[in-house]
Amino acid sequence: MSAINQERLLQVLLAPQISEKATFIAEKNEQVVFKVASTATKPEVKAAVELLFKVEVKSVQIANVKGKTKRFGRSIGRRKDWKKAFVCLKPGQEINFAAGE
Amino acid sequence: MQTNQETPSALERRIDMSVPMAEIDKEVESRLKRMARTVKMPGFRPGKVPMKIVAQTYGAQARSEAIGAAVEKVFGETVREQNLRVAGYPRIEPKEVAGSEALEFSAVFEVYPEVVPGDLSEQQIERPVLNVGDAEVDKTIDVLRKQRTTFQVAERAAAEGDRVVIDFAGRKDGELFDGGQANDFPFVIGAGSMLKDFEAAVTGLKAGESKTFDMTFPEDYHAKHLAGQTVQFEVTVKAVEAPVLPEVDADFAKALGVADGDVAKLREEVKGNLEREVKRRIQAKVKEQVMDALLAVTPIEVPKALVEAESRQLADNARRDLEMRGMKSQDIPVEPAWFAEQAVRRVKLGLIMAELVKGQELHAKPEQIRALVEEMAQSYEDPSELVRWYYAQPERLAQAEAVVIEDNVVGWVVDQAKATDKPVAFDELMGNAA
Repeated sequence: MSAINQERLLQVLLAPQISEKATFIAEKNEQVVFKVASTATKPEVKAAVELLFKVEVKSVQIANVKGKTKRFGRSIGRRKDWKKAFVCLKPGQEINFAAGE
Repeated sequence: MQTNQETPSALERRIDMSVPMAEIDKEVESRLKRMARTVKMPGFRPGKVPMKIVAQTYGAQARSEAIGAAVEKVFGETVREQNLRVAGYPRIEPKEVAGSEALEFSAVFEVYPEVVPGDLSEQQIERPVLNVGDAEVDKTIDVLRKQRTTFQVAERAAAEGDRVVIDFAGRKDGELFDGGQANDFPFVIGAGSMLKDFEAAVTGLKAGESKTFDMTFPEDYHAKHLAGQTVQFEVTVKAVEAPVLPEVDADFAKALGVADGDVAKLREEVKGNLEREVKRRIQAKVKEQVMDALLAVTPIEVPKALVEAESRQLADNARRDLEMRGMKSQDIPVEPAWFAEQAVRRVKLGLIMAELVKGQELHAKPEQIRALVEEMAQSYEDPSELVRWYYAQPERLAQAEAVVIEDNVVGWVVDQAKATDKPVAFDELMGNAA
């Protein structure tokens, strides 16, 4: 992973995705869900999570989420597309969002 | 839950208490559970937020609430068990005991002192006695006449008490100075509105005469540039007017509000007012002595918390008072500490009075309140209106009740103590209490 430079890694993860679905799969598959930069790749996400949270990542799945079409009165707007990463941790690993940065 | 009581000083109490940690944890959990059912969070439907996340966000809050509630409960129970009368609020000091299974804290607070009204029979109370007679009425009417003095042009030298109309110009080193010049300026000699030297110089002049004189301003004169300076004044007297006191006749009575101009009626009215005033002042005097007597015979220690609350209230009152007179609240440097002494006295008296009322059955009776309100209503145009106004609101009635209780206490103390009647002069009574 050394090929990927650290500055880039710090820009990959945008926010943890906290929702009912995310907590559900977190319990089921030991997965953590993040919003990531839409240019991020699976290896980048893996490296970033390992760097920031000091955990070992088993695998990463990624989905492109289409932004919703919203209308305000007569005008139609569109929210930005974004990328969602499901990070599968190795057994016994855990990310504590309250403690980690 | 164990408690342990200490007494650092006469009124202060320190209670050590402990609550088992397990109890608090249980309380926190039940609070969180209750919260989880209703809490809203983005990403979750209401009520579907996982316990873990609720605990993460609201844990600390629930915990401090639980601790607060537990502390309050234990404290309340202890106070009830030991029959303490807490004055003010307790100060809770947590005690950190490492590895302890229980939350330990100590509450420091003050209790109401035991009030034992002392022996009043040795206390002297002087009751001023004054009958309002013709002499007093005459005196008052004289004052009223003086207030209505008119001036009439007189062809003679100005004397004290006369009003003169003058032009004057003041020069310092030959130059006119600010405020040193006026035309047709009236003033009364001897009333103190001008400097003494100035008045003296004008005295003795007739209308149309003028005079030039040197005068030295006093060192403490309010205008800085003139203080201590010697200036030259040129004064021309335009008119000298002698004071004329109005005759006590029908016109005078009418001017004072007696519609049919009956002088006898005026005298009667003045007498009535005087009697009311004298009564009020005598009462105030007696009350003051009674309070002093009570304080003197009853040794009492006051809880600091009450004094603090009282002085804060006094300071607030003072501030509001000043604000009403048009000062800005941030300009008023009112410190509660200024009122400490007054507050101590008030708190002491409050405690003593409460004890007396309880011990001696001096509660205000409804008919007493009624009588008081009606008496107050006497000096108004429409007494029944005022009576209704008082009875319309409980707060106003409570005020009247407080006055009645005070009167009761005063009456009781006067009975107990050695009360002597002492005739006083009219001027002395009116002057002192003013």
